[in-house]
Amino acid sequence: MKSKDATSFYARVADWVAGAWAVFQKDLRLELRSRYALSTLLLFVLAVTLVVLFGIGDAPLTSEIETTLLWVVVLFAAALGLGRAFVYEEEQGTVLLLRLHTRPSMVYAGKLLFNVLLIGVLTGVTAGAFWLMLGLEVGAPGLLGAVLALGALGLAGATTLLGALIARASAGGGALLTVLLFPLLTPLLVSVVSASQKALAGVAFGAAREELLTLVGFAGVTITASVLLFDYVWEG
Amino acid sequence: MAPLAQTELSEKVRPPQVNLRRYRWVRNGVLAWLTMVLAGAFLLKIPRLRILEHTARNLYFHVPMWFAMMAAFAVAGYHAAGFLRSGRRARDVRAVAAARVGTLFGLVGIVTGMVWARFTWYQSSGLWWNFDPKQTMAAAQLLIFGAYFVLRSALGGQPEKRGRVSAVYLLFAVAVMPFLLYVLPRQMQSLHPGAEGNPAFSEITHPIMRVIFYPSVAGFIGLFWVLYTQRVRAAALEMRSVVRGS
Repeated sequence: MKSKDATSFYARVADWVAGAWAVFQKDLRLELRSRYALSTLLLFVLAVTLVVLFGIGDAPLTSEIETTLLWVVVLFAAALGLGRAFVYEEEQGTVLLLRLHTRPSMVYAGKLLFNVLLIGVLTGVTAGAFWLMLGLEVGAPGLLGAVLALGALGLAGATTLLGALIARASAGGGALLTVLLFPLLTPLLVSVVSASQKALAGVAFGAAREELLTLVGFAGVTITASVLLFDYVWEG
Repeated sequence: MAPLAQTELSEKVRPPQVNLRRYRWVRNGVLAWLTMVLAGAFLLKIPRLRILEHTARNLYFHVPMWFAMMAAFAVAGYHAAGFLRSGRRARDVRAVAAARVGTLFGLVGIVTGMVWARFTWYQSSGLWWNFDPKQTMAAAQLLIFGAYFVLRSALGGQPEKRGRVSAVYLLFAVAVMPFLLYVLPRQMQSLHPGAEGNPAFSEITHPIMRVIFYPSVAGFIGLFWVLYTQRVRAAALEMRSVVRGS
C-alpha cells in the first residue's frame, strides 16, 4: 500500500514536470520559429545603448550612472517583452486548450522557465553591449555574473504573474504593465544596482552579501506568491 | 425565474448590518480621543532640541499616518484574500474602501514628512525632496496603490474579473511590501531613526512624548476604521440603488 502511494506520488511529480517542460518547449519552439520576441528585445537594447552613447559622447561616467543605466534598460526591455508570453495565448485563442490539457501550476512553471531564459539572454547581451560600447570596467566578473543571474530571476518571477494579469485585462495595453510592474520592482532595482556597483569596483563576494541575500529573498518571495496566486488569474 | 435572480443580486450587495447606536459611540469616541490627542500634542511641554525645536511635535502626526496606512493595507489584503476564496462582492468592496482610505493616510504621511524634512534636514539647502530611502520607498508604496486603482479602472465593465485580477495584484504587492518598508531602508544610509548607524526610535524619544505618541497612533487607526466603515456602507448602498434602478 505504502509503496503504491509512493509510486503514484512520483508518477504525479514526473507528470507535473513533463507538463511544465512541454509548456516551456512549446514556447521555445514558437519563439525559435519566429524569433519575434528575441530580435525585438535585442534591437531595443542595442538602440537604447546607442541613444545613451549619443547622449553621453565621450564624457566619463561614474559606476553609479553606468549601473543605473544598465538596469533601467533591462527593466524596460523586460516590461516590453515578458508580458507577451500570456498576451500571445489570448491573441491566438490557445488559452482554453492549455487550460484543458495542463494544470495551472504547470503553465506557470513553463512560462516562468521561458521568461527566465529570455531575460537571462537579454541581461547578458545588455551587459555585453555596455561593456563593449561604454568601456565598462568589471573588477569582479564572477560577482557581476551572479548579480545579473539573480536579477534576471527576480525580474522574471515578478513579471510572469503580472503578464498573466495583463493578458486578462487586455484593455489596458502595454503601458499598464509598466505602471503595475515598476513600483513592485523598486526593491529589486535598488539591490541590483548597488550590487553591480560593488562588482564593478571589484569587491569579494562577502562584501555584497546583503544585496545578494536580498535578491535571493526577492526572487523567492515573488515566485512563491506567484505560485499561490496564479490559479486565481488563470482559472475563470 | 427573473425575480429570483434579482433577489439574489440584491442579497449580494446588501449593506452590512450595523448597530447605529454602537457606531455612533465608536465614532464619537474616536473624535473625542483625537481631540484630546491634538490638545496634548500642542500644549504639553516637550524638551527643546537644537534644529528640531518644536517641529518634534510632528512625531504625533507624521508617524501615526504610516501606522494607519499599514493597518489599511493589512485590511485591504485580508479582504482581497477573502474575495479570492469566497467570490463575494462585499469583500471586494471592503478591499477597495480600505485601499482608498489607506492612500489618503499615505499622502498625508508623505506631505507631513516633506514639510518636516524641509525645515530640519534640508533647512540649509531649501530642498523639499531629496533621496532618502524611506521617503522613496513610501512613494513607491503609494505608486502601488495608484497602480491598483488604474488596474481596476481598466477592467471597469466586468466586476467579477475586476475583483479577482485586482485582488491578485494587491496580494502580490503585500508579498513584496516588506522589502520596500523594512529590508532596504535598514540597509541604506538614511536620516530616519533606525536606519544604518542611527539610534532606534526607542532610544531617542523622551517619555513625555510617548504619552501622546501612542494614543495618537491608536487614534488615527481608529479614524481609519471610522472612515473605512463609512465608505463600505456608502458603496454598498450605492450598489443596491443601482441594482434597484436597473
